[in-house]
Amino acid sequence: MARYVAGRLAGMVLILFLVCLFTFIIFFALQPDPAVMICGKTCTPERIDQIHSVLGLDEPFVGQFFGFLFGIFAGRDYGQGANLVHCAGPCLGYSFQTGQSVWDMVVERLPVSATVAIGAAVLWLLIGIVAGLLSAVKEGTWWDRTAMGLALGGSSIPNYVLALALQYVLVVQLQVLPFPQAVAFGDDPVVWFESYLMPWLVLATGYACLYARLTRANVIDTLAENFMRTARSKGLSPALTMRRHALRPALTPIATIFGMDFAALLGGALITETVFGLNGVGKMAADSIAKNDQPVIMAVTLLAAFFVVIGNLVVDLVYTRLDPRVRITAQ
Amino acid sequence: MSDLLVVEDLTVTFPTTRGLVDVVKGVSFTVGRDETVGIVGESGSGKSMTSLAVMGLLPKGARTSGSVRLDGVELLGRPDRELRRLRGARMSMIFQDPLSSLNPYYTVGLQIEEMYRAHRGGSRRAARTVAIDALRQVGLPEPERRVDFYPHQFSGGQRQRIMIAMALVCSPALLFADEPTTALDVTVQAQILKLLAGLREESGMGMVFITHDLAVISSIATRVLVMRQGEQVEYGSAEQVFAEPRHDYTRMLLESIPRIDDALDDGVRA
Repeated sequence: MARYVAGRLAGMVLILFLVCLFTFIIFFALQPDPAVMICGKTCTPERIDQIHSVLGLDEPFVGQFFGFLFGIFAGRDYGQGANLVHCAGPCLGYSFQTGQSVWDMVVERLPVSATVAIGAAVLWLLIGIVAGLLSAVKEGTWWDRTAMGLALGGSSIPNYVLALALQYVLVVQLQVLPFPQAVAFGDDPVVWFESYLMPWLVLATGYACLYARLTRANVIDTLAENFMRTARSKGLSPALTMRRHALRPALTPIATIFGMDFAALLGGALITETVFGLNGVGKMAADSIAKNDQPVIMAVTLLAAFFVVIGNLVVDLVYTRLDPRVRITAQ
Repeated sequence: MSDLLVVEDLTVTFPTTRGLVDVVKGVSFTVGRDETVGIVGESGSGKSMTSLAVMGLLPKGARTSGSVRLDGVELLGRPDRELRRLRGARMSMIFQDPLSSLNPYYTVGLQIEEMYRAHRGGSRRAARTVAIDALRQVGLPEPERRVDFYPHQFSGGQRQRIMIAMALVCSPALLFADEPTTALDVTVQAQILKLLAGLREESGMGMVFITHDLAVISSIATRVLVMRQGEQVEYGSAEQVFAEPRHDYTRMLLESIPRIDDALDDGVRA
């Protein structure tokens, strides 16, 4: 087990290194000179050279890359002499756009994305699994058909359409919700809740529809299993038969899918955050791409990759606890 | 003493897209206490449906008519709540494929315990002792340790032994064995048959043994019911059915039993 986890962690480090390398190649080697952008309109060749040397852009590619990598773990210095700026580790550099430390930006915005992801996850798990279960048990009835029809429709609506429609109806027309504001939970829980409610709903809708359909299919498959017939032949109560024999086999695959979906969301819900103006990692990604803010792009890419590989590992480890047939054998 | 199970004119009907289909058509037989009755037929002959109808385990939508009496009590038309008390306690069932018939997510011990506790109640600890005893009785080595194993950790024959242990944990009066050896190796088949016959004799319960294999029936059953396409083709004592089959279909089934000398001849010629 320990050997397995060690092996997987080593694999993760390799993957993150490669993600880092490729992102670096794409944005630092193939994009236009960032110095021109930073320098602005009133720019001289000397000023550009100076920026190059401060950012280390005059170094060869390998030097730049390892400078960046080293900075993540140990911090790094920009410039020399009087211009020296020390970026303490973990250092992801400074935004070309605002000059802010990218690490600080991430630390500041990650809680917003996490709040969006956690709230939406609670909603979509509750709605999706309950609806899917009911549909499976009432297979073929009007309930099943209505729920599955809605689920199909719901998973076809793009997030931004739903977001705009919700905003229009709830905020502009009915005025039951305020425009989303950046309020901390501690300052005003009610406004906090109202501000996050629409993003949660929008993000949860697509997933809930997907999970309802998955749950329904899994439960129906499980109910047809031979061991369900055995359970009934043993004279167990329908409640115990359902709870113990059907639910665990049916929901275990859902748990793995959920792990992956949730991990991906921690890397930022790009569209939802942008539409609602939430200052999360997703909006940071959208802004940085729009403005070609390379250090920020590097950071959000790495962050998303980090959550996905961690999520993968957690899912695999959890799966061995959920399904006794799956056991880890270190190679 | 009255018969244990009396089935009279049992008909099972399924609604399909082509209208109602009778999968069992007017089948009648009795099972005495301390007796094995064989039901023989090819796939789709309705032999499994007959046993599921008695157990009250037919799929949703199936309709039954006729009469099924266990210990003189009519079972057809009873609410599932009442049948549930009988299932597992007075009558139980083992199935063709022991791997898929056991839930892969739970230890075999828990699956035996839950059945015992559903009918007899008591603590988990007490049920566990019963489960270990049941596993020992079916000849599973190291039952104290293996009670905590999962189904996939056993061989096919061992899994069927576990199914048998489970089915018998509440000492039922009637056991349905639905092709219990079909999925097993020939040598293991013989062991399981011997075990079933031995346990049946020891407990004095009635057994309904369902198979497509007449050779197996001849070694275990005292009475035989032959079915084809839902109909009862032949019914009588094993000696009579095997010695002088009255129906062409039974004769055909008997002739289809491969004999070891035939196989040898074929091999030499080939």
